[in-house]
Amino acid sequence: MKKILLIAALFQLSTVNCQLSTCFAQKLTGREIIQKVKDRPDGDTRYGEMELTLRKKNGSTRQRKVTSWAMDEGKDTKKMMFFTYPGDVKGTGFLTWDYDQIGKEDAKWLYLPAMKKTRRISGSSSKTDYFMGTDFTYDDMGTRHVDEDTHKLLREEMKDGHKCWVVESVPVDKHEIYSRKVTWIRQDCLIAAYVEYYDKLNKLHRVLTISDVKKVQGFWTIQKMEMKNVQTEHSTVIVVKNSQYDVKVDKSLFTVAKLEKGL
Amino acid sequence: MKTLTIIALLWCMIPRPASAQDEDSLRIGVKGFVDTYHAVRTEKPNDWMASRTRVRGELTLEKGHTGAYVSANLVHNAILKDRSGFQLREAYAYYSDNHWDVRAGRQIITWGVADALRLTDIISPMDYTEFLAQDYDDIRIPVGGLRLRYSREKWSAEVVAIPVSSFFELPTDDKNPWSVGPLPIGDEPSHRLYNMEYGGRFSFFLSGIDFSLSALHTWNKQPVFCNGVGEYRRMTMLGADCSIPLGQFVVRGEFAEYFNELQPNEKPSTVNCQLSTRAAATNALLGVDWYAGNDWSLSAQYAHKYVASGEHRNTGLATLRISKDLLHNTLALQSFAYVDVTNGGVYNRLSADYALNDQLHATLGYDFFHADRGTFTIYDKNSEVFVKLKYSF
Repeated sequence: MKKILLIAALFQLSTVNCQLSTCFAQKLTGREIIQKVKDRPDGDTRYGEMELTLRKKNGSTRQRKVTSWAMDEGKDTKKMMFFTYPGDVKGTGFLTWDYDQIGKEDAKWLYLPAMKKTRRISGSSSKTDYFMGTDFTYDDMGTRHVDEDTHKLLREEMKDGHKCWVVESVPVDKHEIYSRKVTWIRQDCLIAAYVEYYDKLNKLHRVLTISDVKKVQGFWTIQKMEMKNVQTEHSTVIVVKNSQYDVKVDKSLFTVAKLEKGL
Repeated sequence: MKTLTIIALLWCMIPRPASAQDEDSLRIGVKGFVDTYHAVRTEKPNDWMASRTRVRGELTLEKGHTGAYVSANLVHNAILKDRSGFQLREAYAYYSDNHWDVRAGRQIITWGVADALRLTDIISPMDYTEFLAQDYDDIRIPVGGLRLRYSREKWSAEVVAIPVSSFFELPTDDKNPWSVGPLPIGDEPSHRLYNMEYGGRFSFFLSGIDFSLSALHTWNKQPVFCNGVGEYRRMTMLGADCSIPLGQFVVRGEFAEYFNELQPNEKPSTVNCQLSTRAAATNALLGVDWYAGNDWSLSAQYAHKYVASGEHRNTGLATLRISKDLLHNTLALQSFAYVDVTNGGVYNRLSADYALNDQLHATLGYDFFHADRGTFTIYDKNSEVFVKLKYSF
């Protein structure tokens, strides 16, 4: 079940972290930069197909595929996601109602086709879990509230040909999985180009590289990203396909009845 | 006809993507698996408890709002020869739009929030051919009927009408290691309109709670032994269930009152089973799921049944599930136990499932039985090790 929760979060990352291109002449604080990244317009509804490839140190790979829809309702977001590959999880569905209000638990349901049953599951999943065996955690996916970290603008520099802000984020809660992360945020599109995650011993733990960003219907969209655990050399590549914004979907799609109906 | 269905099933095995998503075009969805399962008793005579291989095909055809779904098995069972061959599971037609969902045909219907226990979930009965030592989705038996559901954002209303009821399958063949003995079982109710099951369920899905209310006019699907013969009688169920997420926990509750449930008479007599061995039964369940983090998951349930007459009025059954995923979710360890609280018996299934690749899983497990009295007594010598290979497509 945990496997599935991550995928929903991954979908959000692919659509939320991209920001509309803007030039910022004024000096921004670290928090203001992170807030702008979070506030990027991304349409009222979204559709996407993702392929996740998990690669072991020895080079062997595994793959997961999901199809997902999302709809904004005010500051809240509803998401529906189905696994399409591999066969043993094909048809498994996941519905979430994400609430913006701090302290209000998200509502989540999981449908297991083999059991013919929908389960209400915990709305506050562990932030430190890796789901679906990937190298991503929930917190990596962009659902994190801005003020759960303190942010500091370290410098501005070029990264892979893009002018970036370099922001260090330190979690307020000392029980988080990482002690700090350093993010290179592209100034042209407000997308993180590169992120370093440091463990509790302040050793580099994982690095996220976002290598392919394109505009889709006017929205900057991540097409490909890779998270690598530099300590275990296990990595996960996510390729986003067929991204669509402001798609015509009825709000009835985001119900338990449709979750059980399936794709 | 049989040949055609087998060909259709084999055709289902050919992997292919779903066709275009255009609503006006015919969409074809195919999935399924091939698995082989073998189990050996760990006590003397260390004989084979199960040895079966099967192909499962599931086919969905959909055009616009209408569609059809078929699920079937092709089985070779080396122990239970009469279980080999083609087995149709579900086969139904459906209509589904933004609010209405109608299914007509052979289908599995599940109600309630209990995990592997039946309180309100009494429409689709259980196949006990190998007791509970099968995958849970194999244990459920489809019923022939109509299910109509109307849903809105936060609630749904469901009506079921089942003219073709199904009943428990009990292992009475002596060659079956899971046999409960050559029990005489009376005739199942005939498929007549006045024997139809019918009922409904209202479900609500809110930010802090899910809950449902249900009612069903049905039968005791598991034969009750009255004067030495397994009998089926009418009964009515009123039920309710809820799920409440609380942080990392989800608390589940379920309640079902069975009116006029047929009760066994332990001393065969001349009493009329129709009249004198029926009583109300109250069923209640409390469960907790804990999503503990680090890929740990724990779940515990306790279900209590109180019967308003008879010598054994109170019975309790508990379950405990612990699971842990390892090695980037390629290895799943799980322990699932039924505990007969009333009599002290235990059935515990321990398993380790390893994903050899995206399609192929290997599972090694151990079924442990221990009981001096109660439900699990008959299987006290049935502890077994099992291995399963499953290729999904």
